[in-house]
Amino acid sequence: MRDTITRLRYRYWPDHLLGEILSKRWTETAIPVILLLIVGFAFSRSIDNFLSPASLADTARQAGEIGFIALGLALVVIVGGIDLSVGSIFALTDFCALYLLDVAGWPVPAVVLATLFCGALLGAVNGILVGYLRLRAFITTLITLIIYRSAYDLLIQRYSNAIASAFPEIPSWDFIGAGSVFGIPTVALVYIVIAIFGHVFMTRLRPGWHITAIGGSRRSAYNSGIPVRRTIALCYVASGALTSIGALFFASRLGTVGGDIGVGLEVIVLTATVLGGITLGGGKGSVAKSAVGVLIVLLITNGLTTMNARGGVNRMALAGILLVAAMVDIRWQKNRTRIISKVYVAPTYHELPPPPPTEIGQGGPFEQNDKLRDVEAIGLGRIEAPEDVILDRHDNLYAGSRHGDIMRFLAPDYQTMEVFAHIGGQPLGMAFDREDNLYVCIGGMGLYRIRPDGAVEKATDETNRSMRSVNDDSRLRLADDLDITDDGLIFFSEATVRYEMDEWPIDGLEARGNGRIICYDTKTGTTRTELRGLKFPNGICVASDGQSILFAETFGCSIKRYWFAGPKKGRVEVVMDNLPGYPDNINLASDGNYWLALVGMRSPSLDLAWKMPGFRRRMAKRVPVDEWLFPNINTGCVVKFNEQGKIVESFWDLHGENHPMITSMREHRGHLYLGGILNNRIGRYKLDNADPNFVQYDKRWGKQS
Amino acid sequence: MIAAVREFANRFLGRGDATITVPSFDGALKPNQILESAETVLTCDAPEDLAIDGSNLFIADGRRLMCLSGGTASELRSFEQPISALCALPGGGLAVALGGREVRMYASPSAAQPSVTFTDAAFNAINALALASDNTLIATDGSTTSDVDDWARDLLELNRTGRVFKLHPGNKSVTRLAQGLGYAFGACAHGNAMLVSESWRHRLVLVQPGASPRIVLAHLPVYPSRLSKASSGGYWLTAFTARTQLVEFVLREPGYRRRMMAEIDPAYWVAPRLRSGRSFKEPMQGAHIKTMGVIKPWAPPRSYGLVIRLDADGQPLYSLHSRVDGINHGIVAAHEMGDDLVLIAKGPGRVLRLPLAGVAEEFRT
Repeated sequence: MRDTITRLRYRYWPDHLLGEILSKRWTETAIPVILLLIVGFAFSRSIDNFLSPASLADTARQAGEIGFIALGLALVVIVGGIDLSVGSIFALTDFCALYLLDVAGWPVPAVVLATLFCGALLGAVNGILVGYLRLRAFITTLITLIIYRSAYDLLIQRYSNAIASAFPEIPSWDFIGAGSVFGIPTVALVYIVIAIFGHVFMTRLRPGWHITAIGGSRRSAYNSGIPVRRTIALCYVASGALTSIGALFFASRLGTVGGDIGVGLEVIVLTATVLGGITLGGGKGSVAKSAVGVLIVLLITNGLTTMNARGGVNRMALAGILLVAAMVDIRWQKNRTRIISKVYVAPTYHELPPPPPTEIGQGGPFEQNDKLRDVEAIGLGRIEAPEDVILDRHDNLYAGSRHGDIMRFLAPDYQTMEVFAHIGGQPLGMAFDREDNLYVCIGGMGLYRIRPDGAVEKATDETNRSMRSVNDDSRLRLADDLDITDDGLIFFSEATVRYEMDEWPIDGLEARGNGRIICYDTKTGTTRTELRGLKFPNGICVASDGQSILFAETFGCSIKRYWFAGPKKGRVEVVMDNLPGYPDNINLASDGNYWLALVGMRSPSLDLAWKMPGFRRRMAKRVPVDEWLFPNINTGCVVKFNEQGKIVESFWDLHGENHPMITSMREHRGHLYLGGILNNRIGRYKLDNADPNFVQYDKRWGKQS
Repeated sequence: MIAAVREFANRFLGRGDATITVPSFDGALKPNQILESAETVLTCDAPEDLAIDGSNLFIADGRRLMCLSGGTASELRSFEQPISALCALPGGGLAVALGGREVRMYASPSAAQPSVTFTDAAFNAINALALASDNTLIATDGSTTSDVDDWARDLLELNRTGRVFKLHPGNKSVTRLAQGLGYAFGACAHGNAMLVSESWRHRLVLVQPGASPRIVLAHLPVYPSRLSKASSGGYWLTAFTARTQLVEFVLREPGYRRRMMAEIDPAYWVAPRLRSGRSFKEPMQGAHIKTMGVIKPWAPPRSYGLVIRLDADGQPLYSLHSRVDGINHGIVAAHEMGDDLVLIAKGPGRVLRLPLAGVAEEFRT
């Protein structure tokens, strides 16, 4: 009863999605967006016409103007600085535009260019001080804030009357301030264009990457040859120029040079920036975050104003929001990876019936024996981590090593060892094709092909992305074992899509179907996922009927059959289940049966833990990996099973001294060759009653002359 | 109320009592493999305790009482129940505890009838006997619910029912010196008081009549067991098995513990053991994976061998180990005999002898 509730709970509630969603970069933007929706919804319910077209257009005009300033500030914050002088620059450039237009009588295009130049120049002062002279950004921009503001105060004392009394009737100037295209205000259109460019600039262009790199780590950026000082200086120039764009639109909309223009603007823009999720420490941020932040702040200020809140309340609300946002931002940046690693591991319910007996005297097909005691060791101490072993038509022996090599032991005595090919990742399963190319699954890399002359080529390292997966599962993470059909289809298993190869124990702890079987077509070069949701799929072998493959699910403790052709195409059937151990590679035997390696044996304590996901989740959080309850892979065995899934024979090494671990085996000319991923040897066992002339790939592809 | 809230918060955050940290083998407990170099004097099925009377070495092996003298072992006598503790008495006598429920005193090891027999109803798991300074007998009793050999269940049930008894041979009376101990296992006279191992609380306490136990040595990374006096002052403290974070974690997981005890053969429980690595059905932890054919000595110990040399104040001076890749695990008794230390490694069923010459110098004490 309790187990049933647990099972249903873990079957239907997708625990693993939380960690996957949180580890996405876009979640950091999603939170401000959700906040924006909440704020918008709340005000639209409490204020009439809050979302009416006229109100929206008005909001859009203001958002555009502040948005430009926020873009500039975002740039400066991402590069690792801060610009407090934007309010004063805004006021000065506003004055500049109106003075040139109204008093000096310049034509509009000249006014626009001169204002932009003026903004850039004011920003350049900051840029030179902060970028080249390396003054502190905070204090520098605070000083320029005061200086610019004083300059503005002096200027408007002299010219405010002249500007206020002029009413230039220039249509193009009015269009800037009040015009719209298809109902969208000019300012919003220009903002959208610049924002799109800014997004492309930050994410796709070299200078944008330089800016992010400098903000992330100034020293590393310098060491990698990025012109740090110039880039920083240019960011302040850009901030000034963008502020002046905002000022231009403001000037043409209102045409005033009042004393309080731009006062406190830096707080509004800073709040918007932090609220959007742009980290004050630098190195993180995007245009989208800036835009969302501006919208939230504007909705809040406009909403409060409409509700007749007094100015003090308004500013207090903004300051409070800034404080909370900055706090949340700092805590989140500090703990993000910790939180994700805590919630990413999501164990699920996995029930196995009690295993068949293995003890001596209890009988049954798995009864232990000591047949493998006299296994001969090849390459003892010279080869490390041969997960799979394979023999070619000329009796040479191949095995992977953890150094990323395919090693070859030369027939007939297997004493000479040479590097056949260097790949770089841990080689796992191997298979020869008709032309004697060796296909190898490489953990963390994908499926590779080695020509008979030792040349390495990549076959595939990606498959189609599944629509329902949050994690991008198109890349291959842990290609494990493979076999090749007569038509040149390569079926290979990928043990897990959620973890890397060295993290296999975490996948075992989760015991969720995270693995899949993928098909690579050697004729077309296409890769397609055939089956998913498998519990650590491992060994693969094309069955004798040529229409199906047999595959092992290691943590499912079962062998299944998948028809890729014929009348049952697409169907999956259980061949054996409830094995007493964890199945690994499957290979053909000379008598038409199949060899199966059990890499480890089940223990009752882990079987029970697999039925208690909460226990395992807490264990993952509290106990270090070295102390976790693991699947026991120190003892294993080899069994032979027939087409119907009946065990014919089993081979054990009771004390595991000669050959501690068995992950694969390959029959060749009356011997069984044994591989083990954590071994420093390859085992060789003389089989009784086996065909002394059996060569697997002569049988599969026909003898070569 | 505040305590309940705090306990809940601790459980949720893994703090306070919910932490599963285990002190490291450090300082005087720095690991070595000296116990692996000890000579095996005798291999038997179920060695349990030692007693030394001059040149004779008495060994409790299941129901049999063995005597080892001059390198040959002989069966002296046997009892109807397994012997759970031994103690040599002054004047050549011997005290034995049988099945944890009965203590008999013999005037000589071969005497036909016991001189005194104690069968108090409170006796349940008497696991060690020791002489007090006034020549009375002290007995430690681990648990009121679990038998002597069923100590793992007592640990997993979080029982705190260990007691210390004083047995008066004169008037054949029994008085209780302490109760509520986390498995009392081993005692040794310390002045007028008794040093007692409190296994489940990983500490050594001083038990005095009429006073509550005082902590002498706490925060051990092992479960301490029987004690004996060292000839040059101080004590030998054995530790029958070591703590691991996994066991500490399981002790804080009531649901898993309950089901494990109900559904799984005790041999395969996640619990400390006297020996390990016999079956693949035993729980395996991450660091136990054999890599390149080697099991790491620093892997979390399911079983361990350790004797700690304490000074006269009960503080550790140095220690003798058999690590995870060793064999001499489950040291339950250690006594000095001449220039040697004689030990019982219950895991492999061995009586070991380790020459002490040079050992202390090696640790510069």
